Amino acid sequence: MKSTRREFLKTSAVIGASSLAQLPALSQAAAPADMCIARWKGDAKASMNETARRLTEEALKAIGGLGRFVNKGDVVWVKPNMGWDRTPEQAANTHPEVVRAIVRLCLEAGAKTVKVGDNTCNDAPKCYKNSGIEAAAKEAGAEVVYLDKNRFAEVKIGGKRLDSIPIYPDIMDCNLIISCPLAKHHSATRITACMKNYMGVIENRRKFHQDLPNCIAELTAFMKPRIALLDATRILTAHGPTGGDLADVKVMNTVAAGIDLVALDAFAAELLGNDPAKIETVTVGESYGLGKRDYKSLNLKELEIA
Amino acid sequence: MRFRRPRSWVQWTRRVSQVLFLVLFFALALRVRISENGVPSVDADFFFKIDPLVSLSTALAARSLAVVAIPALIVLAATVLLGRFFCGWICPLGAVHAAASWFCAKRPVGSPVERRTPGHRVKYVVLVALLVMALFGAHWTGVFDPIPLLFRSTATFLLPAAQYAVEDSSTAVYQADPHAGPLHLKVLTEPLYKFGRNVLFQVDRQAYAGSVMIAALFLLIVALNLVRPRFWCRYVCPLGGLLGFASLRPALRLKNDEKRCTGCGQCARACPAAAQPDRPGEWLPTECFGCWNCVASCRRNALAFTLENPITPATTAEVDFSRRAAMGASAAGVAVMLGFRQNPLAQGRVFGADLVRPPGALAEGDFLKRCVQCGACMRACPTNALQPCALEGGVEGLWTPHIIAKVGYCEYNCNLCGQVCPTGAIEALSIEKKKETKIGLAFFDKNRCLPYAFGRECLVCEEHCPTPQKSIYFVNREVELRDGQKLTVKQPQVDPDKCTGCGICEWCCVFRDTAGVHVTSANETRHSNNQPILPGGSGSPY
Repeated sequence: MKSTRREFLKTSAVIGASSLAQLPALSQAAAPADMCIARWKGDAKASMNETARRLTEEALKAIGGLGRFVNKGDVVWVKPNMGWDRTPEQAANTHPEVVRAIVRLCLEAGAKTVKVGDNTCNDAPKCYKNSGIEAAAKEAGAEVVYLDKNRFAEVKIGGKRLDSIPIYPDIMDCNLIISCPLAKHHSATRITACMKNYMGVIENRRKFHQDLPNCIAELTAFMKPRIALLDATRILTAHGPTGGDLADVKVMNTVAAGIDLVALDAFAAELLGNDPAKIETVTVGESYGLGKRDYKSLNLKELEIA
Repeated sequence: MRFRRPRSWVQWTRRVSQVLFLVLFFALALRVRISENGVPSVDADFFFKIDPLVSLSTALAARSLAVVAIPALIVLAATVLLGRFFCGWICPLGAVHAAASWFCAKRPVGSPVERRTPGHRVKYVVLVALLVMALFGAHWTGVFDPIPLLFRSTATFLLPAAQYAVEDSSTAVYQADPHAGPLHLKVLTEPLYKFGRNVLFQVDRQAYAGSVMIAALFLLIVALNLVRPRFWCRYVCPLGGLLGFASLRPALRLKNDEKRCTGCGQCARACPAAAQPDRPGEWLPTECFGCWNCVASCRRNALAFTLENPITPATTAEVDFSRRAAMGASAAGVAVMLGFRQNPLAQGRVFGADLVRPPGALAEGDFLKRCVQCGACMRACPTNALQPCALEGGVEGLWTPHIIAKVGYCEYNCNLCGQVCPTGAIEALSIEKKKETKIGLAFFDKNRCLPYAFGRECLVCEEHCPTPQKSIYFVNREVELRDGQKLTVKQPQVDPDKCTGCGICEWCCVFRDTAGVHVTSANETRHSNNQPILPGGSGSPY
């Protein structure tokens, strides 16, 4: 990490803030949830632009709002899935309205800069544009970053599988990363969601596939996530993670947010029709202490939004 | 440096025109790489459309009048009236040479005056040989035609080198972060970097295998300005030869007022073409670039361009190109064409495994008849997949485009190469048609592919495969490891009915030296006799 002083200040600020926050919390009835699943139960004909925005707002509000994670003046990196040159309805990338809502809420919570970017698999300009995310993020006030492959800098991870990997420098410099993928089928890991999404800010990731569960767990542990959001407005049930066939897309009108990425991924696994106990990324993530597979044991809030 | 009052406003107008056309040329080459909604932000074929040689030789080779561009005919007609003004005023490569010869040459008062030499004849020989080759379908004009030559050099060398220089130097400063106290050097370099990335280039830089040869030819012909001013333009350029033929009797002619002329020779020293402006009655309209240097150099105002009846012979000096030279040039063209064809590939008896052409490329013979090796497709290709051939397509296919999937893959949702091709060598397919067009087929190398060779999981290729019903699927197979442990791994296989040969599997393979999967031209849509796989799947379709 870059500066120890900055870290020290940050840590002490967080401790200070949280101890202060404890006091009024005692008097309040309910502490913010650790995880929230927001399901749309309103007009079935409502446009997904509308439901995606509402569900994102409500799910984030239920876990305490982004003010719980974003400090004034922070630089936030919003990391959606936008690695593929596909349109929103093809469900290979995060819904643009989800990203728009997160960017707006970050800025409202006091973030100085919100950056949106992904190390894409297809040609980046096409992915950024055709996913609809570039336009949505820019309109919401974010800085859309095209990752320069020549600027990744090797960072020590110290894992068994990953000793060091090239990470994009802005990632190392930002105060908070919000992983906001959508739930998709993946033939190697069966599902891909919040934890695997971190593979979009690094390079040399192709070799991960020889042992994705451990590589993803080591990477997630290094990233020390504090929040993630799972877009399940629509999910990709087969031929992932690229998709392309609308027959593989299932509309769920659901968004989940939380502080536990293992729990969110377990929920994603269920949505995709899997038993989380049989999804290795989830079980290995749990064994690393990154979270709990049994998301229902958390302080979970399930909302029905109309 | 001494500034003089300009003696001819025409000369200055000409210089401005050259700079503007050169800037336009580079701007088009730069911007054609940037596309919006699947369409290039500029139409880069302007210079190809005004180049009469591209039109003429492609029409001859492809036996098609449809490839003749109207602007090229206008340029040709204007040349008949005005002489080689294209060389002096418009040609961007001419502008490069003019700048280089200004930089290289100093011809002081009293230095020998240049005359027409047998060397001037070479460009006519080159032209006729290339046109005879084109007539027999061996289209090599693009190797020497100045517009494709400069576009290719710009696309594969000049612009990538410029982007490399800006990005790598600023990234080096950014990463090393040299500073003295609070003063960081990157404060100066980062704005330059951001300007390059966000405004000028906008997309990732490219690099081309074998572009060193393209660069070498370009740098060589620029360096030849050391030998003679505008060496290339006056001795070698086939387009100059064509325009020379067209300007035998122009209406615009140089007149030397013998009453005023002192025979000092300054006009001849100022002439970059050795067009003999100093000799009354021996000025060479076929060599003159119409640059006005001679007029501007004369201190006694003895020279002037005047309009005359174009029917009357312009000068006692005609084109220096005898019937014998024409026959020799034609024979040379035929010989080179025959040489090209003495190759099993050129006769269509075999197919080049590494000759994976861009989607929409015509059948090889027709493709070569149209391709002018300009490099526009390579420049437009977003993934840098399109690379100049060395000898993969025979000598005839030198610098024509092919896909090296290790470097880049054919983007599924993209048809830019066909859109920018100026001669129709790559058909402008609709995006739907392009997605169905097969350019090759992927083959797994079981000695390298991880699940086969080492019993490890992988499947990056399957993950990236873009066809909606994946063309790569996997079969669970049991492998035995060194310690006797049995493990079930997912081994990828290709569905030849679905695979389009885009090469993303090869590109994303964990092996970056030689991938565990390799795309060859087999199954390509453009050749029915290179489709060994019977459609309809395994077993009986009935």
